[in-house]
Amino acid sequence: MATLFRWPGNWDPFAGLRVMQRELERLSGRGGFGEGRNIGGGVFPPVNVYNGPAELVVECEVAGVKREDVDLSITGETLVVKGVKHPAGATEEKAESDIRYQRCERGSGEFSRTIVLPDKVDPDRISASLIDGILTVRLPKSQAALPKKINVK
Amino acid sequence: MAENKKKVEVNVDPARVQPGEDAFTPLVDIFEQADGTTVLLAEVPGAKSESVDVRVDKGVLTITADGRREPMGEDYARTYTGFMGGQFFRAFALSDEVDRDNIQASLSDGLLRVNLPRAEAAQTRKIEISDG
Repeated sequence: MATLFRWPGNWDPFAGLRVMQRELERLSGRGGFGEGRNIGGGVFPPVNVYNGPAELVVECEVAGVKREDVDLSITGETLVVKGVKHPAGATEEKAESDIRYQRCERGSGEFSRTIVLPDKVDPDRISASLIDGILTVRLPKSQAALPKKINVK
Repeated sequence: MAENKKKVEVNVDPARVQPGEDAFTPLVDIFEQADGTTVLLAEVPGAKSESVDVRVDKGVLTITADGRREPMGEDYARTYTGFMGGQFFRAFALSDEVDRDNIQASLSDGLLRVNLPRAEAAQTRKIEISDG
């Protein structure tokens, strides 16, 4: 029985469902910009990736998430942003089920985003900052990814 | 063919955001605390506290914030864009039970918190009917 429910590696049994939910949210105009003019994706934080001459910049919108609740890691060219968005009343020392919501749009829970970077980066020189609910990660490109001038003899 | 006359309004004061298609609608949570205070949480990522404006006018609570950021520069190509910086606007009709003079607002980590305490005078008052 136990072997039946052991998922190989880090395969996520709900990944397919989550992709479908994301697509439905996108279709209904929520989380995207354009039709809905909403910002923020509930517990699925939107990401910007910029490709500069010497560095990559990744921005992640995590409004209301504290610095200690964000977990950032990099493996090769894969950057993973994990975090927890606590429910609104968590500071009130109450369980979430006790809160009488009149409106609950922000959503809460754990989130994880995997970003495959378009270039090789130097993992030792990465810097990250969380200011006003926006996580900015600066990833300097590794020497192997920078263009090299070749002298023609 | 009828002449199509369109009135074009230009927003001359960019500091004060007007409701319209240029402003984002921030996501909000509204819940009530045990002491009766209603708490409103609004997500305004990228907005500095000096750009946030919370005001009550004619029973309408208006939240505006500016989350626009400096562009990355021409050297930076956009590989992926999931969100943009922008201005925020949202308005709420306030109940008479809210004590308008003691509304407090604070901003941390891109989250605006507005405390709307319950007014003391919000109790039901009986109105005497005088004899005509």
